[in-house]
Amino acid sequence: MKKSRSSIVAAVIGLFVVQAGLGLALQPIWAKNYMPKQKGVAAGLNPDQLLAALAGFREMVAGILWVRADSFFENGNYDAILPIIRIVTLLDPHQLDVYATGMWHIGYNFTDLQQRSDRRYLPSAIALGSEGAKNNPDTYEMFFETGWIWHHKIEDGYDRAVKWWDEANTKKDILPARRNLLASAYIRNGQIEKAMDYYAGLLAEANKRVADKTDTDPMSSSMRDTIERNLDNHMIRMSQRGWMAKTKGHGPIPYDTEPPFDVGFSVKVTVTDAKKLEFEGTWNVLPVGTRIRVILRDADYPHAIAGGVDWDGDAESVNLDPPTNTTYMQDQLYVRNRRFTKKIDMSADPTMYPFNKDKYLLEFYYSPRNAPPHIQDKFSWDGQGLTDKNFLNTEIRPGVRVIYTSFEISRDEILRRGEWADKAPVRMTSNFKKQGLNAIGSDVINSESLRSSTSAPKPAPTGPPPGMVPPSRPSGPVAPGSN
Amino acid sequence: MNAIVSIARTTFAEAIRRKVLFIIFLIGVTFLAVAPGLNVLSARQERTVLVGFTLGVIQLTSALIAIVLTVYLIPNEIERRTIYTILCKPVRRWQFFVGKYLGAVTALGVMMAAMTVLLIIVFALQQGTRDPAQLAPLAKGPLMFFFQMSLLAAVAMCLSAMVQPILNFFLTGGIYLVGTLFGTIFETFQENRGVHPVTKAISQLVMSILPNFGKFNVQNPLINPNQQIGNESMYYIGTALYGVVYIIILLLIGILVFERKEV
Repeated sequence: MKKSRSSIVAAVIGLFVVQAGLGLALQPIWAKNYMPKQKGVAAGLNPDQLLAALAGFREMVAGILWVRADSFFENGNYDAILPIIRIVTLLDPHQLDVYATGMWHIGYNFTDLQQRSDRRYLPSAIALGSEGAKNNPDTYEMFFETGWIWHHKIEDGYDRAVKWWDEANTKKDILPARRNLLASAYIRNGQIEKAMDYYAGLLAEANKRVADKTDTDPMSSSMRDTIERNLDNHMIRMSQRGWMAKTKGHGPIPYDTEPPFDVGFSVKVTVTDAKKLEFEGTWNVLPVGTRIRVILRDADYPHAIAGGVDWDGDAESVNLDPPTNTTYMQDQLYVRNRRFTKKIDMSADPTMYPFNKDKYLLEFYYSPRNAPPHIQDKFSWDGQGLTDKNFLNTEIRPGVRVIYTSFEISRDEILRRGEWADKAPVRMTSNFKKQGLNAIGSDVINSESLRSSTSAPKPAPTGPPPGMVPPSRPSGPVAPGSN
Repeated sequence: MNAIVSIARTTFAEAIRRKVLFIIFLIGVTFLAVAPGLNVLSARQERTVLVGFTLGVIQLTSALIAIVLTVYLIPNEIERRTIYTILCKPVRRWQFFVGKYLGAVTALGVMMAAMTVLLIIVFALQQGTRDPAQLAPLAKGPLMFFFQMSLLAAVAMCLSAMVQPILNFFLTGGIYLVGTLFGTIFETFQENRGVHPVTKAISQLVMSILPNFGKFNVQNPLINPNQQIGNESMYYIGTALYGVVYIIILLLIGILVFERKEV
């Protein structure tokens, strides 16, 4: 009997080792596919919800919470949705809908009264997308959505859009129509030939699908036609914009991008009242579609770069309470009839624009990478056809000719305090010249082709084509308070 | 072997006649039947809420049945003195112990199977589908729950040879709760760089010793069917094997204690 007991004890010890090994071997698979992310969940749930979640109902609790978020969406109570997004994604990290909607919500929906989104949330949106992708590595959706934020919302750092969409492309479940977008990201990232090769690859695959008798998808044929049209357009643009000639080492040929066109950027900014700015300026491009980015931010805004922010910098973890002591405003100045005017009122949104720092930076930035095709036909993707006597910059975005200038401005000036209480602070480029509404006849939008007016070779590289206004006096920004 | 089967058969017959178990079972079934009524709470999340709720009901009901059924198995026999009539026959104590366990697990399995059938019927009615490809995967959750509850029953059986039923009830419930949550806590410790290496080592040790009930909670992909899981079958087989090995360990420990117990 004693011997038998010893054998059982030995067997128990042996089996214990076996189960420990098995358990630890299974743990990573369980953590990847089945585990909730409970860190912080307890803090966000009511006791009854927590009990229900612990009792095996966590997906149900997550589902009901998400339904609750729906009613907050309808009521416009956007702040209340944030903790729900966090709790739901922690309780059920495989609810792709919550991740995707949450990202969009955080990235787009927090706006001021003039519908400018609060970009301080962008790192959180990116972090949520990254977390969703990490928790759902076998489906394309969160990789695609995170790339979309870079491509559509941030409109900068396109290498990140390429990275995310490249990864999305490796997933088996990606929809064919969504694969096409990677070419757009390549183009905006300056990988023009890679985009062509990518389109060609997609076309070969689409041709194969159409030829496949077993393929019953009615969209296959139209999809193939779309890809072919995109490839044709891209190749025509590569030719007309002189890209092929340039990369093949041909000499100066009067392609549509030659000679570079001087956009004659000028701007004047007036602080009309506390936190109210008025912009006016010139941009000698007549065809509609120009958007100049304007930024007003803390001079020491975290991870700031000229003309934007490296939004990946703070995107390590989802933080639904962005720093409330920072200020970052970004908007677009729309050019019509070669000039722009805009009033920006930040006075009604103290949470979004707290202006706690002493120094701020006003930036103006234009990149041909984001321009619509009819303007890119003249400027090309990298700005070969774009110049400006005063503000052309080839350094802040390597490989791209952009227009950039900036002004420093103080807190007292923005808040109209102290010596600025009775005097409107002004910043303007020295080439700024006031243009009335009738400077070009009327406020009607004239749409003239840039390309048709520049197709013939010109002796002077900066000579303005017909219909374009020559730039004013050349010079840089003017010192503060010079008005 | 015959002795084990006979005891198991008797235990099964007793178990399904026990009123308290039947009431727990009926409550579970009632919740399953009314689950589609949760539609009012779940606009556009019907599938998530329905499957999440019904699987949760099956798990909770089964856990209660497993604990209530097994904590009284041995003590009742001793208290009613029926154990003497059995052990005076050519039945070894270990055969009695294993037979009791198998009978309880069979009863548990039958009740869980009934609830699973009801789950599938409710899902088919609410989602308006008869497609076996959509319905069959739902059974995967309860299947893994069965291994989970068999392990839980083994914990209760093992402890029933050592402690009183009431204490056993709370002890088994506590082990179940900790065993369900510890996997997540363990992962949090491992991922967090700020956790001291000693704490990490202790959590690893606890993880190796404690029955990890959380491993059997595979309902998430059933609730979110768009998930792609690599080597799902291998995971199921591995987890089932883990459960069986742990059950054998607990039964062996229980037998060792029961062999020396004065009855």
